[in-house]
Amino acid sequence: MPKILDHAAENSFWFHECFLMPMPIGRKAVNLRELLEAIRYLDESVLYYHLIQSRLAPGPAAVEYPNDLAYWAANALQDSKLAEKLSSFDPFEYENMGEVRQAVGDILEEYLWDLPYIPWARSGFELHFCHASTVVIRSEISAQTLEELCLALGKVGLDSLYYHFFEARWRLGVRKADDFSFWIENNFDLPDLVRAIRDLDIYFYSLKEIRETLVGVINQYVGEICDQPE
Amino acid sequence: MISLNDYAALVGPEVIGQLHRLAERLGPRRFIHINSTRSGGGVAEILSRAVPLLQQLGLDTGWEVIHGDQDFFEVTKAFHNALQGFKVNLSPKMLNHYQEINRENARRFTWETDFVLVHDPQPAYLIEEMRARAKHWIWRCHIDVSRPNLQVWRFLRGIVSQYDASVFSMSQFAQNLPHPQYLIRPSIDPFSEKNRDLTPEEIQAVLARLGIDRDKPIILQVSRFDSFKDPVGVIQAFRLVRRHTPCKLVLAGGEATDDPEGPRIFAEVMEAANGEPDIQILLLPPDAHHEVNALQRAANIIVQKSTQEGFGLTVTEAMWKGKPVIGGAAGGIVLQLQDYNTGFLVHSPEGCAFRIRYLLHRPEMARRMGQLAREFVRQHFLITRHIRDYLTLVTLVDNPGSRIIEL
Repeated sequence: MPKILDHAAENSFWFHECFLMPMPIGRKAVNLRELLEAIRYLDESVLYYHLIQSRLAPGPAAVEYPNDLAYWAANALQDSKLAEKLSSFDPFEYENMGEVRQAVGDILEEYLWDLPYIPWARSGFELHFCHASTVVIRSEISAQTLEELCLALGKVGLDSLYYHFFEARWRLGVRKADDFSFWIENNFDLPDLVRAIRDLDIYFYSLKEIRETLVGVINQYVGEICDQPE
Repeated sequence: MISLNDYAALVGPEVIGQLHRLAERLGPRRFIHINSTRSGGGVAEILSRAVPLLQQLGLDTGWEVIHGDQDFFEVTKAFHNALQGFKVNLSPKMLNHYQEINRENARRFTWETDFVLVHDPQPAYLIEEMRARAKHWIWRCHIDVSRPNLQVWRFLRGIVSQYDASVFSMSQFAQNLPHPQYLIRPSIDPFSEKNRDLTPEEIQAVLARLGIDRDKPIILQVSRFDSFKDPVGVIQAFRLVRRHTPCKLVLAGGEATDDPEGPRIFAEVMEAANGEPDIQILLLPPDAHHEVNALQRAANIIVQKSTQEGFGLTVTEAMWKGKPVIGGAAGGIVLQLQDYNTGFLVHSPEGCAFRIRYLLHRPEMARRMGQLAREFVRQHFLITRHIRDYLTLVTLVDNPGSRIIEL
């Protein structure tokens, strides 16, 4: 293992920073039927924002739900059963946003089908739809060894974690690949570590938890090379 | 003068580094902010802090103010009220005067720039006269326009539609406009007079001056005396609490002189508080930032029981001071307060009373909630995040049509 620790990658890993700018579209859902209709006709970028990008937007400090829709079901509709269904949904199980849209629509339609009433959001908790644009810049932090990567993970912002884990999946065109495992796969002979990173349930975790978990996995596979971030 | 690096102690050096990198990538660009006043009001407050910080980042940033007569500001006050949903009558003569004052200002201005950020409706019409003087025009709306009066909005929409982008504070304020709309949350400056740390002596001096004893826990609401802030509802809640628990209520704020219902609401507040020695009503001038700061720091619980709200920066200020906050479930308060976590949301005087009692009897919970609230504000609602959003915004406006821009 020490040999791996000394090994320097041919290409450094450059951390990127990602600045999200939400773009409200001036439409809202006040009940579950309106949400279903909106998901069917609005641009896929709106669904992408509420399922994935919104974790970079200001939100409640500790939320157990992994996306806006599940949180809205729990908090605005106060429908725990629907919140459970939406929180178990993982968009990374699908090939593209078209399939994701179909799957979310199916969940909502099936749920509404069996209900004798339409769940309404309490006043002030309507879901206002957004999409987003992002600006990405290269940070000044890079890593050439696994130790440097691990140490850098404690320094970079959560927006970097978001960029390299979430945006990477669409950019690389490989659903299960993220930038970290991609770089390790191409520079180090550590297939078990690559697999362990790709097996992380990233959609379930908050960005802060993803950072802690990733550091934990690296330490587990190559020895305790860096401390857990605070 | 406060330097950008002073903020590093609060938000971390990496955040300041990000601002420098974003500004560097943007290159030598010129910005002009335009609003209608150099002092007084939230927009002037944020610009007076943000403009020097943008300059420190190496951006050629100017701040221009339009001048107008009393009639002009009567018209724009009517615009403001109408955009917030009040019914107003605007004659063609008034609209002409609004346009003429903007034309006069346009003749006076000599600037040319890359980006112009026009704040609120007062200077919006400048674009008609000055389109060619800036590469990109952005309309920054700070007002709650979720339910605007249609007549006034139609008139303004004709003007605003000419802009390249508009920016709102809440997603529910977005409108049907033919250009990209962006969301930038307001922010507070931790070093401003309203938010800077105060010594116990400074706090005590303000309380002594205002005649407030600290013999009982203090419940505080800071807001204008207008119907949407529900000060009467706060007094009702306080009376419910007082049946069980000793405490005092301080309602501090200015008169809502531009609210047609302002005088009536203030009379109702005085009537509701009548005969209750533990309720103190303080009429403060608009620039009483130091006093508000001290009151917030002296309070045990801070209430903002709004029934309609733009963003609710008084909530943000209270959270920054590590106080447990109880807020009405309206506008941006919903975004800031999460039950049992960063605060409590309530829907009625009874709910407000219940949560006040809950917190008075659980000081440890109140303390923990205040800590979480301060951390939440630190991460999301300080001026450094606002500056970052401005830089991101102009980068995006500079690259129209791109949803993801790699610099």
